[in-house]
Amino acid sequence: MGLETISSFTGQIGTVLLGATRSEGGSRSISYTIGGERDLPFLGSPPSGHKPLVAYELCDDAAVWPPVVREFLGDRTREPGAWAREAGDTWKPDLIRLVLTSTRKRDFQDFASLRRTVEEVLQQSPLPLIIEGSTDQAIDSEVFAACGEAGEGERLLLGTAEAGRYRSIAAAALAYGHAVIAQSPIDINLAKQLNILLRETGVPADRIVIDPYTGALGYGFEYSFSVMERIRTSALKGDCDLAMPMISGAPDTLTIKEVREADPGIRQRVAVTWEFSTALASALAGASIVSVRHPETLALLREAIDALWGGAGVR
Amino acid sequence: MPLKALDIYKLLPRKNCKECGDPTCLTFAMKLASGKGDVDRCPYLDEHAREILGSSTRPPIRLVKVGVGERSFAVGDELVQFRHEKTFYHPPGVMVAVSDLWTKDQIQAVVARVRDTVVVRVGTDLRLNGVAVRHESSDPGAFRRAVEAVEEIADLPEVLMAGDPGVMEQGLAVCGHFRPLIHAATPQNHEAMSDLAKNYGCPLVVKADDPGGLPDLVERCTGRGVQNLVLDPATTSLHRFQNISTAIRQQAVTRSTPSLGYPVFLDAAATGMQDAAIVTGILRFASVMVVENPDQASLLSLLTLRQNIYTDPQKPIQMTPGIYRVGTPGPDSPVLMTVNFSLTFFTLQGYLEATRIPCFMVIVDTEGLSVLTAVASGKLNETMVAESLKKFSLEKEVTHRSLIIPGYAAPLSGRIEEATGWEVLVGPRDAAEIGEYLEKEWKR
Repeated sequence: MGLETISSFTGQIGTVLLGATRSEGGSRSISYTIGGERDLPFLGSPPSGHKPLVAYELCDDAAVWPPVVREFLGDRTREPGAWAREAGDTWKPDLIRLVLTSTRKRDFQDFASLRRTVEEVLQQSPLPLIIEGSTDQAIDSEVFAACGEAGEGERLLLGTAEAGRYRSIAAAALAYGHAVIAQSPIDINLAKQLNILLRETGVPADRIVIDPYTGALGYGFEYSFSVMERIRTSALKGDCDLAMPMISGAPDTLTIKEVREADPGIRQRVAVTWEFSTALASALAGASIVSVRHPETLALLREAIDALWGGAGVR
Repeated sequence: MPLKALDIYKLLPRKNCKECGDPTCLTFAMKLASGKGDVDRCPYLDEHAREILGSSTRPPIRLVKVGVGERSFAVGDELVQFRHEKTFYHPPGVMVAVSDLWTKDQIQAVVARVRDTVVVRVGTDLRLNGVAVRHESSDPGAFRRAVEAVEEIADLPEVLMAGDPGVMEQGLAVCGHFRPLIHAATPQNHEAMSDLAKNYGCPLVVKADDPGGLPDLVERCTGRGVQNLVLDPATTSLHRFQNISTAIRQQAVTRSTPSLGYPVFLDAAATGMQDAAIVTGILRFASVMVVENPDQASLLSLLTLRQNIYTDPQKPIQMTPGIYRVGTPGPDSPVLMTVNFSLTFFTLQGYLEATRIPCFMVIVDTEGLSVLTAVASGKLNETMVAESLKKFSLEKEVTHRSLIIPGYAAPLSGRIEEATGWEVLVGPRDAAEIGEYLEKEWKR
């Protein structure tokens, strides 16, 4: 006799397809379905839905990237294509998340270079790709059009739509067949509202991934954790406007005070442990994709998620 | 279905004998109704009343205390499955393992670390809670000596981990009167272990390899007179732990299986992936966790995650309003105003320290709201800023009259200038950019 959890939920999280293999019209070595859960994360044997994925974040201008990662990687951060290839081969993430940090420069206008960067990463790495574009409305339209077109057919996940600026990204997703990350500032109602707005522009529910915004451990994570749990339980109780899979990456994790001021001898390990704890806790809160920046976090996270998921041969 | 205080009162003897420790039966009834009382304290209840009250007024998860004195801690007494439904009250005790195979020096090195380590975050002291002594040798005397080594240098709560009641008694002979947690009663030894727990007045872990057997084992132990129990699902699989622990929490808070209404134990070290087990344990209802001596990095993130999850989601941690100094600021140092939400304060403070520019932080009382929400709700407004500056006598600290306000408070800048007579400079929205901002705007 075991001890079983009780589920009274009637709803289900929707699914989103990411990446396209050759037979699906793209060039990826694999494609994923995320979401589909009928219960809380990792509950049941086997758990419902699809196992959470682990994404590795890299960027096209490392000047603003966490110093602890630059220190670890040295000059391997110079070229995003090679960086993506090496990350895939060495640290084995499920997906790559390319953050176009070059667009954060004042008066950025070099959209042709973005296109080349995206093409280069797609060529060098066979993994499905998430692209984080601009954060400035003035250039959104050109940035997302360039990325969207360069990745046409690859079923990218494009980020990040926010309440005030979602039209350009929605347009690019619709024109070139991609999915969209919808980010709201740790607020379940705003998350719901943005999903509704996106659907009104024509983005179907199965092409939306919720980013509830994740504060780093010790820096607001408690709010993010509970908002994720609330989004998940609301969806399982039948709220269709929140029944999309979630993505979580805590962008500040590797630049917080505890990492910056750690003794140099243990700084790398503090960074990895902090990022690991934040990401694993997010997966337990219901994130379908957790994304991290330190390469050494990846293997730990993969092992822990496998162990939580259960199944044959897993501790 | 919870009973109301008056319904409970009708079932009580109504003689106000005070033997339960409360002045009247009505106050006792009110305690029971709020889940804070213990039915067994009333000596005059008839069987019928006891049956009704026993199942519906007990806290759904029993409060269990471990250790005595300053560092003792209590776990259990939780009411919800989800933190956002109310809050989680009693953070898990983290017990660092030592072995009776070790030398006295090895044991005491770990004990001293547990005793002395303090991590200060958001103005709160965070600590490890105690020591777990594992019996791994074949010598009962070694177990006794290990416990003595712990007791010699610290008054910390302990978990005694030995499957043989004879060995357990060796440990209890040393520290049994300091309420250690006994690990563990199993289907094979529960009678002897229960008797030890009862004689020494100690809490007892109940461990069944088949967790379906836990309710039965619990009833056997309570039947022998031990009420303070902790449940060990006895698994080294994270998947199984999180499923079983969730099931226990669900059945406890819904009161569908009252004999599962006890705190949960997790041997995080035994999973072979301690950091992952700790995260899972904190998020999934573990109340006592045994860990191998964590390195500094694990320790920091473990204590921080526990603090995060066990803060009240409805009550943000607040700073006392006033003037805070970063470095040793002088009369021409910059003055930055922000809200008294502790997270905002500590984030900004961290970035300000990194700039190495001495400055003043003026913290105004927004009742713990963040800048964005305080502006939206009107809690942050020009009148209170003006009053705060006056109350804190800021004009005596600096010779200039320039106030840097948070980027999200920009809509208030004009009104703050009018109300205070200070020149207002709008800072960045993101505290991470404050260094660059001061570099460019202040030194200008």
